[in-house]
Parts: sequence; structure tokens; C-alpha cells
Amino acid sequence: MDAAAVARLVPGLALALPRVPHRGLLGEVRATSAGSALELHDFRAYQPGDDLRQVDWNAVARTGELVLRIRQDEVSPRVEVVLDGSRSMALSPRKAACAREVALLTAEVAARQGLSPTLLVAGARPERAQGQACRAALEAADFDARDGLPESLGRLPPLRPCGLRVVVSDFLFEADLPALCARLARGASGLFLAQVLDAEDLDPAGGDGARLVDSESGAALEELLTDEVLAAYTRRFAEHQRGLRGAALRARGALLTARAQDALGALVAGSLRPLFLAAGAL
Amino acid sequence: MSFGFPWGLLALGALVPLVAAYFLRRRQKPVVVSALFLWRRPSPRAEAGPRWERFTREASLLLEVLAVVAAALFLADVRWGDSARVRHLVLVVDGSLSMSARGPDGVTVLEQVRREAAARVESEEATQVTLLASGGTPRMLAGPEAEPSRALAALESFLAQGADHDPMPTLIWAQELAGAGRRVAFFTDVPPVNAALVPASVRWTALGTARGNVALVSAQRRDEGPTATVTLRVARFGEAPEEVDVRVRALPGAGAKAGTERVERVQLPEEGTATVRLTFQEAGDVEVSLPDDALPEDGQVRLPPAPMRPIAVALAQGLGAPEQTALERFLAVSPEVARGAEGSATDGVLVLGPPGTDARVTVGAGGAPRTFVGPFFSEKGHPLLDDVQLAGVRWTAGDNPPGKPLVSAGDAVLVSEEADGRVHVNVDLSRSNVQRVSAWPVLLSNLVREARRTREGFPRRQLMLGEPLPVVTLAGARYTLVGPGGSRPVFGAGEVTLSPPTGPGAYSLERDGDVVDTAQVLALDARESDLRERGSAEVPAREAGEDDAGGNAPGRARWPLVLLLAALVADFYLTRRETPGAPGASAASTGGAS
Repeated sequence: MDAAAVARLVPGLALALPRVPHRGLLGEVRATSAGSALELHDFRAYQPGDDLRQVDWNAVARTGELVLRIRQDEVSPRVEVVLDGSRSMALSPRKAACAREVALLTAEVAARQGLSPTLLVAGARPERAQGQACRAALEAADFDARDGLPESLGRLPPLRPCGLRVVVSDFLFEADLPALCARLARGASGLFLAQVLDAEDLDPAGGDGARLVDSESGAALEELLTDEVLAAYTRRFAEHQRGLRGAALRARGALLTARAQDALGALVAGSLRPLFLAAGAL
Repeated sequence: MSFGFPWGLLALGALVPLVAAYFLRRRQKPVVVSALFLWRRPSPRAEAGPRWERFTREASLLLEVLAVVAAALFLADVRWGDSARVRHLVLVVDGSLSMSARGPDGVTVLEQVRREAAARVESEEATQVTLLASGGTPRMLAGPEAEPSRALAALESFLAQGADHDPMPTLIWAQELAGAGRRVAFFTDVPPVNAALVPASVRWTALGTARGNVALVSAQRRDEGPTATVTLRVARFGEAPEEVDVRVRALPGAGAKAGTERVERVQLPEEGTATVRLTFQEAGDVEVSLPDDALPEDGQVRLPPAPMRPIAVALAQGLGAPEQTALERFLAVSPEVARGAEGSATDGVLVLGPPGTDARVTVGAGGAPRTFVGPFFSEKGHPLLDDVQLAGVRWTAGDNPPGKPLVSAGDAVLVSEEADGRVHVNVDLSRSNVQRVSAWPVLLSNLVREARRTREGFPRRQLMLGEPLPVVTLAGARYTLVGPGGSRPVFGAGEVTLSPPTGPGAYSLERDGDVVDTAQVLALDARESDLRERGSAEVPAREAGEDDAGGNAPGRARWPLVLLLAALVADFYLTRRETPGAPGASAASTGGAS
């Protein structure tokens, strides 16, 4: 993991938070809950138990009805970074490093942005870290889960409501992708699926013949890597990507595919651009 | 399914490195992938599991195995089902001595037959050959249904030395071996006397040439003491020299220091034979040779010593004085008779004794004597009574002896024979005149002759080709006849006539592994030496056999070759790789990056 590159990028970046109310500790971002902020959010009829201080007496005078002013809290939204800890993420050292860098960059940028980053490592042994502990947790993360992300999520603590959820994975597993994306989007105001793929995932080199071994399950497949087989892989990979992208969109999320071999700066300026904005753009 | 060249199946050995390479290749390169499910095809495929399952589902390996198998089948000349190209050819070769005759070019008929047979096997693309040699006893030289190379090799080492014979039994046997509708090829040196009598499925090929010839038609050697008498008969057939030099060479015998060689110039009549008789002292083997001509084999014989084997005769004690005197007087003048030990009764000795003893022949009369002057009744045709004339004989007999009567007068049995061969001569010589007439030595000579006939071994030591081989065996022993062509058991006891030997040479009779006697079969047969009627002819088979249908049968089956090429092309198509710049390759490399 190139922590120096992450450190260089953090000052100039900010997370692209969704323009919807958030939840979280007291902060600067408009919350979904009614609060005492100055910014008016809405009006509604008074209900017993409401704070009488929020009654808009001018409206009462105009209409003769009790109308309540609803103001939203300004919160510091939580940012959850979920890192897939399955073995396929360590298909190559570069893929593992890239996944760590994306997760660290997200957490660091969030922290600098005043958000509360939480890192969840969905590995064989689930890990949870917050704030400055994220870096150490990432450095210690082992990609050792012998199953895919859907199964690893079951071992994690329940995902809490948050402002932004960034899931770093290769998303190369057989699963009900719409259901997975809906699960990941639940409770989150925004969802980014950061897909880190190795060059061999994108463009397998093939060979004379090979015994293909699944990195997670260890299942093997005898296959002669002919052009037809490689083309079929490419077809099925494209179909998988289309399905994943569609599922992410239906969950109001976004799929960002990062090529592990690219430098982090290039990724930020390229395929991860929807997640990382220039700091001045906010 | 059959194979014309089974050695071609050795090509299947290529499967071993092929399969080994397959497993080694698989083992050498495990490739870890992120998502195995993206590599799977819609149809279920073998994952990690038993190697055999993966083996059977690997299309490339199967195609390569198929190619190897097809190549092996092609090399092995596979024949399949109805299209199996099994062509069975039955060849019959005349085994008579005249097949060894040389033509004007010095090539023997048998050599021409070898060439013709090889050409016939090749032209008819025979895959199985049965080779028979005709003769008095047909022989199978190769087969049944032997490989052509083996059959031709057997023909190459075959020597035609048989006697004149009728080939029809051999041809009929060949027809049965060939099967219905199949033709038989017969190679000989003489055209058929009547082509209509040749079996319909036999193709008769005569390759002989009419030649003149001088030959020995008989040779005999007789050894009496140190003197060997050789009697030769030389015949001239056709255009042959009127005079020939008969060269007779006697090798030194046991007591001689040097051999003897004589050359006798013999005038040969137009028709008939000339006889040559030579004597040698203390001679070993005698070699007789005529100048080489069309058939040198019938001008050369080798005569080993053939000493007479005298019959041992012993007189038992108890004989009356007249009987003993009469018997000794006969034995004194009888040739080939040796006196055995007095009173001995060992095996192989003809014992003469008085009545009441266990002698083989009893002479004498007991009881009340009765004298007869006739008429005498004799068992007609009995060998003991050959030429025994009893006219004018006064025969005094006693009580009737046991056994079957051979000579009787009234109710008196004069000569009888028991079932075990014992002979009783019921005569009182003191009152008879039998011993003073010719019937007496004739009767005794017949007794000695019968004893000689029943003596173990070969009654004749020198035989011509085609003559049956008489042999005498004893009951209760196991005999084997050993000759140039091998050995065969001799069944039966007593006088046994064996079928004519198949070839010339020395034949020995063995009893329980010990040689008992030896006889010589000479390569002499006047009918085979007469080459005037030999000639060449080609008599096709009158029946069109099934062989004709396949006259233009294709050679090696082509379908394994087609299968081999198809498997190779399919394997190449399956494992082909496009160049990196090909459209398919570029699409594969960029498809997942979007």
C-alpha cells in the first residue's frame, strides 16, 4: 500500500456526498432529523407533544391553525468504508494494495472533511475501525476469506445508517446482485461500489492450457485457454458488469471500476472521479 | 475386425506419452482466478474430481487419442465387418521328386513354383495362406490360414522328394480348407491328363519342361560276411546319353584301411534298364552317382551296410534221435540261420523241441502211432504250408496236438498251430519218410521265414520311394518311427505296414527310446525320373470363385487415414490461437475494462 501517495492526494480531495439529509453527530451537514438549526426545512401541522417553540406564530395568525416550523439538524455524517476481505482481492499484490489505497483514501478524505469514517473489513475475521485506527486496520487486513462478499457481510456487525457507504471489492462472485446492492444501500444516503480489478480479471492472458483454480473456494476447472474460451470469458464478464452496474443504479448507488495496475492518482482523476471531488468544488 | 499387419498396433504406444503429457501439462500450470464462474460454460463441465472424468471430457485429448488410434489402425491394416479384407489363398505344391528337375535354364521347377506362388500371393493380396504339399500322405507346410510371409518361408525351405502319387486327395483336402466358393491353386510340373477330372475350383498351373533323363531306378546292397554286393538298375528316359559312367565309391568299412572307387560305363537301351552288379570287400557306406542331368537327385544314392540278420535256432533237449538228426541236417544247410545255445529258450530264438515242452515248434509224436499215406488235407493259403507238397509221403502221427489243424489226415491232426503262434508237427520220423522228401525242408524253411517275419524291426532295409514301410513290433512296447521328417508313433503289434515315407533318408525304429533297427528309403522312383511327359500348362478353375468378386479389392483401408486427418483438423481448430492483433483478441482484452 502506497500510504505516501494517499497522503499526497488527501489534501486536495473531498468526498462527493449526496445532496440529501444525513444522519450523524452534530456537524455541518444537514441531517434527516428535525433539529434546531437555523435553516428551515419544512412546515407541518402541530401534533400533541411538539415543541411549542417551533410553532410559526405568524402562520397561526394568518391561518388560525397551529403550524409548526420544522428545522433540520446539521450533523457530521458517518462514512462507512466496507472492504471486501476475500482471497480474490489478493489475486495479485497490486490488486490488494490498490484496494487498501482506495479504502484508506476514502477514510482519510472523510476524516479531513470532518466526517466520521468507519472501516469494516469483511474478512474471515471481521474488523471494525474508526478514525485514525483505519490506517492500522487496513495495513493489518488479511484477504483471507474463503467466500465472497455476500457471505462475509453476514459475519460483520449490522451496517448502521450512515451518510455515505463505500464498498471496496472486486464484486467477482456469484450472487443476487440487486439484493446485495439493496442491502448495501440500506441506511446509507449514498452508495459507491468501488470495484478493484486486476489486469488478469479484465484481460486474462490465457496460455496453452491451464488448470483454473478459484482463489476463494479452491475449486478447479480444466480448461484449454483457447481464443474461444477467452472470448467467452470476456462476454460473461461484460454481462456480469452490466448486471452489477444496473443493480447499483437501482439501489441509487454508483459502480466505479478501478484498474489495479493504474496509479492511485490516475484512478482518482479517472474512474474514481465520481467519488472524489476536488476540495474546492464543495 | 482383423488386422493385416498387427505390428502396426505398436503405434498405440504413443498414447502413453500423450496421456502423460496431458496430465503433466495440467499439473504444471495451475492458474488462480478471481471468479471461476466466469470461466464456466453453460454446459456443466468437469471440475476438480476424478482424473478419469476429466480425461473423458477433455475434447482435445480425446481428439488426439482418436488420431493416434486411427493412425495405429491404418498402420495395422484394419479390416472391419463385411468390408474385412480377409483373403484366404490355398496353395498346393506337388511334392513329388520330379519337381526338383532342372529346366533348360538350370532353374528347378520348385524354384519356379516359389516365384509363382509369391507372385500369386501378392497379386491376389492374400492375407492368409494355407500351403499344402501333395504326396502319398498330404502334408500341411503352413497354416491353416498362416501369414503369407510364413507360408512363403515354409515353401522356401520345402524340398520336393516325394514319390509319384495322385494329387486328387490333396486337392480335395485343399478345397475343404479353402471353403465353399474359394479357389485352390495347384502348382505342379505336368499338365493334367484329363482336365475334366480336375476339381472345378482348382487352378492347375504346370511349370515343368519335358527333358531327357538317366536315372537309377533301383539300388540294392546285400552284405554276406565281409562281401557287399551292390546291384544297380540304370534307366534312360527320352533324349539322354546312350552311355553313362556309373561311379560307385565304397567307403572303408570297419576292417578296411582304404575305400574303393569304381566307374562302370553302362550302355543304356532305348527302352528298358541296364543292370550293374558290383562287389566290395569290407566296405562301409557305398555311394553311387550318375553324371548330373535334369534330375540329379535320382542319380545319387548312398547305401549303408545292410548285413543279414540270421535267425537263431536252438534245439531243446528231449528230442528223439531221428527228429534231432533231421533238424540238424536242415539247419546245417539253411542260409541265414544260426545255431543258438542248446536248450535255451530266450526271446528271439526259434526253439525246436519235443512235444509236451514250451518250445515254439514241437516235432514228434506221442501216443499210439498211426500212419497215413493220404489223402492229406492242408489249410490252403497258410504261409507255413507254402509249397509244401505231401504227395507220396508216409506220415506216422501220434495223438492229436492242441491248436488249430493245419494239416490233417483222416481224424489225425498232423500239423497244428496254437493261438500264441506255437506250431506242433505231429510226426514220428522213425516211422515216416517226411524228412526224406522236399516237403520237409520246405516246411522248416517256412517256419524260419515266419520267425524272421515276426522278428522285431524292418523286414526290408532298403526301400524305394513310395513303397509302404513294413515293420514288426512286439506287443507291450512303445515304438516310434524316426525319419528325416520327424518322428511318429507306431501303433499295433506284430507285422505292421506303415504308409510310404514322405521322403528319402534313413528311418529308424525305436522301442522306448532305443534304436531297434534302421532302414534306408532311397530317392528312386522310376515314374518320377521319367520327365518326358512334363510340361507347362495353365488350366483355370472352371468355377468362378468368390475371389473374383474381390479381384480389384482396394488395398489398405483408407477410412482410418480420413479419421486421423479429421481428428487432427478438429484438434487444430479446437486449440487454435489467433494472433494478438486479431479483432477477437483485442475485444477480449478490452471487454471488461469499461
